[in-house]
Amino acid sequence: MSNRIVNFYQFLKNRPVIRSFFILILLALIAIRHLEINFADFSRASTNLTILVNEAFPPDFSVITDRAAWSKPQCTFEADWACSPAIIGITQTLEIAFLSTIFGMVISLPLAAMAATNLSPPWLAQITRQILSALRVLPSLIWALIFVILVGLGPFAGVLAMTMYTVGYLGKLQYEALEGVSREPLEVARAMGLPRWQIARFFAIPEASNALISQMLFMFEYNVRHGSVIGLVGAGGIGYYLNYYLSPFQLYDRVLALIIVMYVVVVIIDQVSLRIRRKFIDSTEQIQRPRWREVIFTRKN
Amino acid sequence: MRLVQSLESLIFSMRSTIVEYDEGDVNLSNNHLRLRFSNASIGFETGNPLIKDVNLTIASGEIVGLTGRSGIGKTTLLRTAAGLLSPLSGSVECCCDLTMNAKRGSIALIPQRLGLIQHQSVGYNVLMGALPGANYLQTVLSLPSREMQEATKDAISAVGLSDKIFESVNRLSGGQQRRVAIARAMVQNPRLILADECLGELDAETAKEIIELLRSLAKEKDMAIFIVDHNPLRVRTFCDRLLQLRGNSLIEFDNLNDRYSLPQAGDGR
Repeated sequence: MSNRIVNFYQFLKNRPVIRSFFILILLALIAIRHLEINFADFSRASTNLTILVNEAFPPDFSVITDRAAWSKPQCTFEADWACSPAIIGITQTLEIAFLSTIFGMVISLPLAAMAATNLSPPWLAQITRQILSALRVLPSLIWALIFVILVGLGPFAGVLAMTMYTVGYLGKLQYEALEGVSREPLEVARAMGLPRWQIARFFAIPEASNALISQMLFMFEYNVRHGSVIGLVGAGGIGYYLNYYLSPFQLYDRVLALIIVMYVVVVIIDQVSLRIRRKFIDSTEQIQRPRWREVIFTRKN
Repeated sequence: MRLVQSLESLIFSMRSTIVEYDEGDVNLSNNHLRLRFSNASIGFETGNPLIKDVNLTIASGEIVGLTGRSGIGKTTLLRTAAGLLSPLSGSVECCCDLTMNAKRGSIALIPQRLGLIQHQSVGYNVLMGALPGANYLQTVLSLPSREMQEATKDAISAVGLSDKIFESVNRLSGGQQRRVAIARAMVQNPRLILADECLGELDAETAKEIIELLRSLAKEKDMAIFIVDHNPLRVRTFCDRLLQLRGNSLIEFDNLNDRYSLPQAGDGR
């Protein structure tokens, strides 16, 4: 037996790829065992899935046409579709995402400048980084729970929750972008004798502006996706309406219709944002990428 | 081209005599002193000094050139002069007659890669030179005064880029970008311009224009200009004094008109 183990060890020792696979599989098995995962539960899942699919199909698109009298805040439009759960929910989600991105940007930009080591003294950069990572520790859903307790149910709690998370996340992206700006403009400013905040405001931020705008759009995209989740705890947005149909009534056909609407909106926003971001990213690329053709077939001068 | 080659071969064939630079020769009042290195050792905090015992004074109205092979520490010397690095020993002073507050904006640095803010317009980049002279309210509100705007326009037309004032800097050619950097330094109205390879890979005509511009700045506005260039042949044509880094010491050529004392093209290699 011990001989076999030694042989196996010798076998693994000379084969690094197989060795890493072996270790990964071993770790996965340990985790499955530790979490007491029972794959027999799948059999139950299939029957539940049939029930779910039967109830959800066909999706009930009355969520786009019928008025939701129970909407929060109260909808005052004449047209029924304008006050339907899907439209109100999506609008609220977009509004929450928009506001929290704007507020988050306004707060995170000065924090990012303070956290960038090329703009701030090391002690300040360290402290600010700790603050930003503390904000990132909690996901937006937990922030939403906290703010629902603090300011009550509704979109305001959602805006606050998403803003907190945006500051933490966007702040990190931004200070990395600011640290990536080229050294020369900052040295020019330093030689002029400008104070740090002016170096950040007039040199570093304009230099990194394309990256910053692109990150802001990305954050908006991200907030739209996450804005739909925070409604589950009552912080407004489409999640609130999803939850309304889910928990007391179990109207899965309406839930599915809402999910489809959400999916379409998210895809559209992702595409639009990607287009705009690509425009900004492309124009930042000063350095021409080397082409394989040129590496292999060197140009003759 | 042929002229340059023949000049080079002529210089190659000559024997160069080098005179150690002695600061004692220069006796200047503080009013005219723009830069002073006293027994300064220069280098990075970790590691040995790149250049030892630098003694150098630059007075107002002077154009001083510095040459030397690449990697020898020319840029490090310039960055030390700009206050971006501290000397390892000795002292470096700039504009000795000014108080700490008045020193703000007294040094304009033109780095090798120019340090322009890409994606911003020519106007924005040049206006940045006026920042040291702006008051607190103007900077907080980002509202430049009429004088600052006028100075910016004047500087841009002085470097011949009036038609490109709203153009993004990264759309300009290398030579035009250099002119933007010089215009920024002009708006700053400093006492000392530190230029690192500011003639770069420019063609002869553009280089000449830029040299003329620098020369007129030095004379009219009483600025001192300290210029680093790897090409001793070019830099000697417009400098009042020429220094060279060799090994780890700074050497001055005593007379630029004396062909025998000129640096050779392959010096220090």
